[in-house]
Amino acid sequence: MDRRSISPVTKTIVYVIMITFTVLAIYPIFWLIIQSFKSNQVYLRTSKLSMPAEWFFGNYPFIWNQVGFSSFFTNSMIYSITTVIVVVVLANMAGFAFAKLQYKITKVLHGLFIIGILLTIQSILIPLFLMVNAVGLHNTRIGVLIPYIGLGLPMGVYLFTDFIKKGIPNELIESAKIDGASFIRIFARIVFPMCAPVSVTLAIITFTATWNEFILMNLLTAGDRYKSIPAAVGRFAGALGSDYGKLFTSLSLSIIPLLIFYLIFRNQITKGVAAGAVKG
Amino acid sequence: MTDKGEKLFSYIVLAMPAVLIYFAVVAFPTVFSVLLSFTDYNGGKIFGNPDIQFVGLKSYIWMFTEPTGNFYTSLKNNMLIVGVSVFGQIPLGFILAYVLSRKLITRGNKVFQTMIYLPNIISPIIIGVLFRAFIISPHSVYMEIVRLFNPNAEFAIGTRPMVPVLFVILWMFTGFYMIIFLAHMQRIDPCIIEAARIDGAKESKILRHIILPSMTGEIVTCAILAISGSLRTFDLIYGMTSGGPAGQTKVLSLFMYESAFQGAANYPLANAISTVMVLISIALILITRQVGKSFNRGEA
Repeated sequence: MDRRSISPVTKTIVYVIMITFTVLAIYPIFWLIIQSFKSNQVYLRTSKLSMPAEWFFGNYPFIWNQVGFSSFFTNSMIYSITTVIVVVVLANMAGFAFAKLQYKITKVLHGLFIIGILLTIQSILIPLFLMVNAVGLHNTRIGVLIPYIGLGLPMGVYLFTDFIKKGIPNELIESAKIDGASFIRIFARIVFPMCAPVSVTLAIITFTATWNEFILMNLLTAGDRYKSIPAAVGRFAGALGSDYGKLFTSLSLSIIPLLIFYLIFRNQITKGVAAGAVKG
Repeated sequence: MTDKGEKLFSYIVLAMPAVLIYFAVVAFPTVFSVLLSFTDYNGGKIFGNPDIQFVGLKSYIWMFTEPTGNFYTSLKNNMLIVGVSVFGQIPLGFILAYVLSRKLITRGNKVFQTMIYLPNIISPIIIGVLFRAFIISPHSVYMEIVRLFNPNAEFAIGTRPMVPVLFVILWMFTGFYMIIFLAHMQRIDPCIIEAARIDGAKESKILRHIILPSMTGEIVTCAILAISGSLRTFDLIYGMTSGGPAGQTKVLSLFMYESAFQGAANYPLANAISTVMVLISIALILITRQVGKSFNRGEA
């Protein structure tokens, strides 16, 4: 490929296009974070595109302490981490069973999980809401976590079944079997560790999806106590709408943890997205 | 325990937890939603309630004929979003992926990729609220730019309120398709491209005769993802316009949400809407598959 000659003109045009796209993609986020360092009066008075003449740090403690952002942050962490752990373990177990312990029913069960990947959350929203209410789990952590886990499973089962089928030879399972290991022991000692790459991919996909989820959280919790960041921001965005400085701060505080997460795991995230999308 | 018994026991222990949760949270509610759409259930006890009657297609008929025409406004907006996704995000994503995979530029490929994908990782509700402040508020960046040209401009949401929404959707998700196309383009055997180049094929011919044909499957996959994604759009619009002004930016999911959870609950109507959404989604996906197939035949 290096021998290719691309004229400098073409090259410049391509660079300009790529830089334009990049700037368009990140500018609004950059703008948001910058504006969060202005007080509301300053934001309203000065140019919306200007940098703050004096950096104002008062919005952050207000949002974190007064508005209770710290507790939304804790909730988000609890929901995301629990969902990730449970989904990774349960999907891996099911994936092993579906891939290596074949029964006739496997095809049906596996097929149902695959359909679940394409299902929209809207088609289960109302029944879920009614069911969670009926069993008395409305506005509890567990009432949120169980649906989150269920929604994370289809992608996980798909990824693990596929990986175990193609990546782990039957001979390996059989020889462990001959050595007297039970299937459950084989899962814990051999299959689970071998699936580590898929577990990482799935953990990242599940973590971002859970962290960002809004509509279910909004319905299944009432009040602020059990809300995660997106649902909380969705709720008080209206109330803070007249105070731009504080609004921008709450949005920035929602975005910054994910930005850090993304910059650390960017390669795994983009790989995971591509892996997850091959399902069509 | 016998070997067979141990296998069955292990199968149950390993698969059961996932299967049970999945059935409770996804499979059963899906069926339940369709059932509810044929009833007159409007609150109260949901299981074993003798007052719930099956009323057939009543909710569907109401949905199609009720005087506000909410269903048609929402459907039109959903189709606009499908249009922007399929004919905007996918071509743009393809071009970006092509530029990156063929290394038309020598430096910064990785940075471009990381940055263009970045909007995708943020919660759509947050993006919605951000762009409400950025574009459609009296104190927005957009208004400031408008005032540069016309200092007396008054804030007004405009006659085409879907335009900013569609712009944000295009802005947010283009990077997603770029990543998918890029992953597949990188899997094309470089020897094929090299051989074509040695035979004197120009870059445009390589694109037309090697890259594009080997990507038709992925284009169809992306179109399917775009369609199902477009139909489920909720958070972003909820955060950005909440369906306003006067319901002009309403989409089906928002219409459903409002029917069920705002004002007097109308669960059957809401479930009828979600059932129709699923049906539309399936129909569009089947059409896309068919188009993809005939396109493939044309290539061969």
